[in-house]
Amino acid sequence: MSVLEGKERRIIGFLCNWCSYGGADTAGVGRFSQPTDLRIIRVPCSGRINPLFIIKALLSGADGVLVSGCHPRDCHYAEGNFYARRRLEMCKQLLPAVGIDPLRFEYTWVSASEGQRWQQVVTDFTAQIHQLPPALRFSESPDLELLRQCG
Amino acid sequence: MADDIHGALREAIRTILPDVECVLGWGSGPDPLRSAPLFMKSPEDVERFRAGELAVNNLAVFLPEYAGRKVGIVVKGCDSRSVVQLISETLVKREEVVIIGYPCRGVVDVAKIAAAIGLGNEDLEAGLVERAEVNGDTVSVTVRGETKTFPFKDVMAAKCSICRYPNAVLHDVFIGEKAEAREDSYADLEKYEAMSLEERFRFWEKEMERCIRCYACRNACPLCVCRDHCVASSREPHWLSQADSTRDKLFFQLIHATHLAGRCTGCGECARACPVGIPVGLFKRFINRAAGQLFGFQGGLDPEAVSPLQRFLVDEPTIKEKEWK
Amino acid sequence: MNAALKFLPHEHLKAWLEELAGTMRVLAPQKEGAAVVYRAFDPSREPELIRKPTESAKHILFPRSEALFAFHKKKAPFAPDSLNPDGSQAEKEEPATPAMELTPPEQPGPTVVFGMTGCDAGGVTTFDPVYGGRYQDPYYLQRREATVLIARACNEALSTCFCTWVGGDPANRRDADILATRLENGWLLEPLTERAERVLGSTLLGDAGEAEAREAEALHAKARAAIGEAPDLTGIEDALPALFDDKDFWWSESAACLACGACTYLCPTCHCFTITDEKAGLSGVRLRAWDTCMAALYTLEASGHNPRGQKAARLRNRVGHKFAYFLKNHQGRISCCGCGRCIKSCPSSVDIRRIVLNALKRAKGKEAANG
Repeated sequence: MSVLEGKERRIIGFLCNWCSYGGADTAGVGRFSQPTDLRIIRVPCSGRINPLFIIKALLSGADGVLVSGCHPRDCHYAEGNFYARRRLEMCKQLLPAVGIDPLRFEYTWVSASEGQRWQQVVTDFTAQIHQLPPALRFSESPDLELLRQCG
Repeated sequence: MADDIHGALREAIRTILPDVECVLGWGSGPDPLRSAPLFMKSPEDVERFRAGELAVNNLAVFLPEYAGRKVGIVVKGCDSRSVVQLISETLVKREEVVIIGYPCRGVVDVAKIAAAIGLGNEDLEAGLVERAEVNGDTVSVTVRGETKTFPFKDVMAAKCSICRYPNAVLHDVFIGEKAEAREDSYADLEKYEAMSLEERFRFWEKEMERCIRCYACRNACPLCVCRDHCVASSREPHWLSQADSTRDKLFFQLIHATHLAGRCTGCGECARACPVGIPVGLFKRFINRAAGQLFGFQGGLDPEAVSPLQRFLVDEPTIKEKEWK
Repeated sequence: MNAALKFLPHEHLKAWLEELAGTMRVLAPQKEGAAVVYRAFDPSREPELIRKPTESAKHILFPRSEALFAFHKKKAPFAPDSLNPDGSQAEKEEPATPAMELTPPEQPGPTVVFGMTGCDAGGVTTFDPVYGGRYQDPYYLQRREATVLIARACNEALSTCFCTWVGGDPANRRDADILATRLENGWLLEPLTERAERVLGSTLLGDAGEAEAREAEALHAKARAAIGEAPDLTGIEDALPALFDDKDFWWSESAACLACGACTYLCPTCHCFTITDEKAGLSGVRLRAWDTCMAALYTLEASGHNPRGQKAARLRNRVGHKFAYFLKNHQGRISCCGCGRCIKSCPSSVDIRRIVLNALKRAKGKEAANG
């Protein structure tokens, strides 16, 4: 069990390879201090992000999901983030249907040079998640409970 | 439904029969309350055709199976939207389908009738119904020799009381006077949204518990066209486990809903098909409302339309992104 | 026989079930939303004993998914040079092969199911030769032995009921442990197997006599009459294989089929399963879950070939298995109990009775044509 259990929340970040991942790197190189709740998964483009990544993470117990890509008009693949924007907004509007607070999910745009903006996004989003109670969990099916016991 | 419309519909079906492989319509089911899909190939088959308030099935679901062959289909307003959506997605060719429309004043919800029949404190089954008849604004049902009559609007399917397109939106033949459209203000969602987020989460946890994972919701959906290649049964990628787990079952509903975003025409077949009565149509109501508010889009109205998730605007005036201070 | 009959006044039903719940798991049909499903008996709610449960009772003995065991791969421990407690140099261990640790699942204890329908009990006894015959399935057999099945006699028939076609009866004395009949003033309980004794010792139960037995018999006769006369299905086990290659027949019978699994998953006799491992890191669970022959994946081969790629072939298999292949493997027993759920809950109202009758007719016609 982590020493940060109870202090940290589980936040998953999906970052595009070309802008936001670089932005996060810039923030790190610049030694901008950030909350440590976020776990980053790098994807080729925000257009690669299937809304199911977000929903699966949230249903599996993530407290928050953050998606970040290149600014509109700046996509490495020209239009990936334009499609992403529509899908992600649709996904955000579906979440309350199952009782998931839409505040648990945000998407934004951070370029590779915007280390400071990245710092702000992470800090704000982490604070937003900390204002919410921990994510609701399903009562586990007995079969998978067995897995947890031995794991 | 008036006999003259039935007669004219049968006549229209007979007329196109020589040009098509078969005509999809409705026939009688296992009891007087239920109808079943009818695949008419001969004039004798046409005698068994019946439309109207008991013709609940959306036959558009069968169309992609007939790709490359010409078929006829009789449609209610909602069914026609599924056909249009399939055409717009090039899953059905316009020239391969002959569409016969008629004015629909709504169909019954068999579950509502079963609950309404209740003699004493018992809920009864549709399977006890000996006779069922719709006369104008009333439905009469005979159970155990006793006939009960209720207002049609009380046992009408929920989707019908908010139906904006009761007449086929695309048709080759239309029989009868156009029916009057109704309004949809998404009042059902407002009612649902009175529940807190936690209540909603627990609600679904409870509802999905009785899901048997038969995927009738998926297979009855005319727009779920992956059919035998659904991610729900895939091991690689491994979206769902084989465990009988509420989380996986609910996740599948969200997979279904996201895949229908900007496509769903609101025919309600997913919920009707559910053998254990889980209100899975609610998720699609959410995405349909969002598609309307964000992109001014309703599925299945224009065969030339492109789904809103397959196009974009460089500046999206309707999407309000979060502002980071 | 009648000496053993027990009578349970209606007002004592819940007290009796509550008493049983003290020592065993008690399951009864319960209304949930628009459906009736089996749930642990809840004294604060009325069990639903009139409507036919939407789901069959098979999952009580054969769960939708069950862990056969959990596994945990143990990495070989890191073994640095070390000292024994007495200070001597310990022998250095050879790097071991990773060990696999298996954890068996917990099996539910004694269980009683009150209020299943007679046809559902018929489903259970079609499972028995499959899982307790040539191949012994310990998971199933353990549950089967631990479970007392109390079937209630039906007082009326739904439009989809046809138990008498396939050797069943509204008052099913062949398959359950106890037959319960709802009389005017209470339940008549008729023990049918030794397992029945486990639940009939209560002081809440009185003795029943000739009068109650006669009252019950009259109700049974009424239900039998409601189903109507059963057609003769003799020869069906040959008719279906004879139509195996009759594409027109199966295409037309399956035209309305949506190829979902509602029929097979609600069916009391369908018993197919698939086994998969659900893994997380070094641990996992081997799961056995229901499978359905109506799904394409059921017969998909590793080569990519699917012998039942079309829904017509799958429907042919479902009907064929129930009304032909199973009979040949299991002494003429039809593996359909006539509950009618596959008809009632089919979104397209595909009717297995019609398919069977059409098959008989068509096979006879072919035979006649071939002289």
